[in-house]
Amino acid sequence: MPKKNLPLEAAAEVKYRSDDFTGKLLIETRGGLFSAIATNILSIDDPSTKQKKDALGEIANIICGNVVPSLGEGGREYKIEPPRSLNKDDLLKEEWREEPIAGITLNFNDGRVDIKLFVDGYSAAKEKKE
Amino acid sequence: MALNTLVVDDSSVMRSIIIKTLKLSGLPLGDIWEAKNGEEGLRILQDKWIDLALIDIHMPVMDGEEMLTLMRENDQYENLPVIVVSSESAPGKIEKMLKLGATFIHKPFTPEILKEVIVAVTGVSNEYSD
Repeated sequence: MPKKNLPLEAAAEVKYRSDDFTGKLLIETRGGLFSAIATNILSIDDPSTKQKKDALGEIANIICGNVVPSLGEGGREYKIEPPRSLNKDDLLKEEWREEPIAGITLNFNDGRVDIKLFVDGYSAAKEKKE
Repeated sequence: MALNTLVVDDSSVMRSIIIKTLKLSGLPLGDIWEAKNGEEGLRILQDKWIDLALIDIHMPVMDGEEMLTLMRENDQYENLPVIVVSSESAPGKIEKMLKLGATFIHKPFTPEILKEVIVAVTGVSNEYSD
């Protein structure tokens, strides 16, 4: 069952760019998964906040590296920036009001992870088309 | 033969993942050394006996391509087995690393994949595995 209304714990973004596209991948955790991800990846019981942020960022980096090459035609060269941990203020900024081009929600135990892929200009282009 | 292994990645989380995966692979491991960029990696190579290097591409200070290029220019390390572990998907970048004699593993990876590649590049016996 989808777990709605869970407060946001943490988020990380990875920005990417090619000659034709720029955008970012956003990952958000809720319901205890911020800690669970680091605990599982690092095999430690009580990860520090830095370890949790690093683990979430690394997951975002891996997903971005695998997803972004599927955008547009094959063979494009992409530059993927290092992951960045986001706070709630970051997420309220204008740039995050864009609509993601794709997203997925994964429910685990009592928590949830949302992964969203953004292509800059997608919302504006979609509005114009409509 | 126990493999002395150098893991070079700017992400401490990714180094932990690689080391954990190495241990799960069941291969005979000796000492494992960690470096957070190519410069540190080269320093460890100068000081320690290393049988295998696993290196990332995108790192600050000195990236994986520069590290590998310098290694191949040095008689001591020109034939050292190198596995590039990266989420990089740009064909041009991967091709450069392959031309420098590295083998490429795309993140994410399993202990089985890592083991298969290590056996192939080092010729280490598989007999110690589970």
